[in-house]
Amino acid sequence: MTDYIVRTEHLCKDFGVLKVLKDVSVSVERGEVVSVIGPSGSGKSTFLRCLNLLEEPTSGNVYFDGVDITTKRRDIGKYRQRIGMVFQNFNVFPNMTVLDNITLTPILEKKIPKEQARDEAKALLARVGLSDKWNEYPRKLSGGQKQRLAIVRALAMQPEVMLFDEPTSALDPEMVKEVLEVIAGLAKSGMTIINVTHEMAFAREVSDRVLFMDDGRIEEEGSPDELFTCPHNPRTSEFLSKVL
Amino acid sequence: MEKLVKLWVNYYPIFLQGLVGTLWLAAITVLAGTVLGMLIALMRMSRLKTLNVISQVYTDVLRGTPILLQLYFFWLALPKIVPFEMSDTSCIVVALIINSSSYISEIIRAGIAAVDKGQWEAARSLGLSETNVMMKVIMPQAIKNILPALGNQFVMMVKETSLASVFFVGELTTSYKSVQSMTFLSIQPLIIVGVIYLVVTTVLSKLVGVFERRMRVSD
Repeated sequence: MTDYIVRTEHLCKDFGVLKVLKDVSVSVERGEVVSVIGPSGSGKSTFLRCLNLLEEPTSGNVYFDGVDITTKRRDIGKYRQRIGMVFQNFNVFPNMTVLDNITLTPILEKKIPKEQARDEAKALLARVGLSDKWNEYPRKLSGGQKQRLAIVRALAMQPEVMLFDEPTSALDPEMVKEVLEVIAGLAKSGMTIINVTHEMAFAREVSDRVLFMDDGRIEEEGSPDELFTCPHNPRTSEFLSKVL
Repeated sequence: MEKLVKLWVNYYPIFLQGLVGTLWLAAITVLAGTVLGMLIALMRMSRLKTLNVISQVYTDVLRGTPILLQLYFFWLALPKIVPFEMSDTSCIVVALIINSSSYISEIIRAGIAAVDKGQWEAARSLGLSETNVMMKVIMPQAIKNILPALGNQFVMMVKETSLASVFFVGELTTSYKSVQSMTFLSIQPLIIVGVIYLVVTTVLSKLVGVFERRMRVSD
């Protein structure tokens, strides 16, 4: 049996009368890198946010490591610790230093000794080229640095999967690359990644599989080469012709 | 003018005593009102419908009726409800605390609501417990919005507490009444009291303003 780390079954999400997700069933294997593309408002971000229950699905199920996390009274915090998430707007904590941003949750929720948490955080900062910034406040960081900090903050919890919600959309063009390089590095290291993105070239380069979403449904999925070069669905070709 | 100076020289201890009473009343109503207001704000944001409704009604009633009417109500009703003796002053203090808690609960709620939604999401996505999300991430940021507003509430209360003079609670406007009955002068002591209020509220407002700017710089 395949080892699915994240799986959704007939996932639906309504916001009032607006149906944003319409019966989305997706399975992601451990170690797989999946990119989700599609027009704005197609439900990509909502889909991603359902995976760690930042949005409560209206119906359907989300399984993490084989466990249905949508059932009531499950301690969602325990699962979220295993699911890292990076947001479009960074959402770093402005009132804490870079190091405190990273060590807050490991110390509070995983009871990691403070010294150890700080050492691990510094090692992670070195990996993304932010070693000298550990004692700064986020207001002193550029957008690209903030996003790298946000990635490190998520990694410090040693998650089994990383969710990226348009991680470069809010960045100045010259900072996109430094963030994409970090994500590419993660992909190479074997991390399971679900990446909602508008960066088509990047999606094509790093993904094992690409999902095309439109109007709340997965309209097409396939390997990057297949989907980008000879899409079967006319909507996919239409979308690609606009963005490529 | 001469009369004013003479009045001040002869009676300044009474005025100053009144000022101390006013500042004390304002401080206690803001401090105790913050504790109570926090509770009301948490009820307001709770997921339990009943608690939402209770806090909503609480703030609506207290903000939608005149404060003087509330003072009368507590002054008449409290001694009948509680099983122990209550002085007029304690009745009025309780009434002022409850009144100010309704405004402060809104200050706290607004301060928390002003924290970017993304902060909640990021904190939750890391797997922090709801308590830690609130206490470690949201509150430290909300406090920067809340503290200056509480300062303004204190300035408000310096003026609002003058209503306590109706019940002869020791504060500045009551001092005016005392001096008036001792000297049979009414306009002059009123001017003195007015100037004291003006000086105190102006200084306090300026301090709050400086404090507010400091808070913003550190962001």
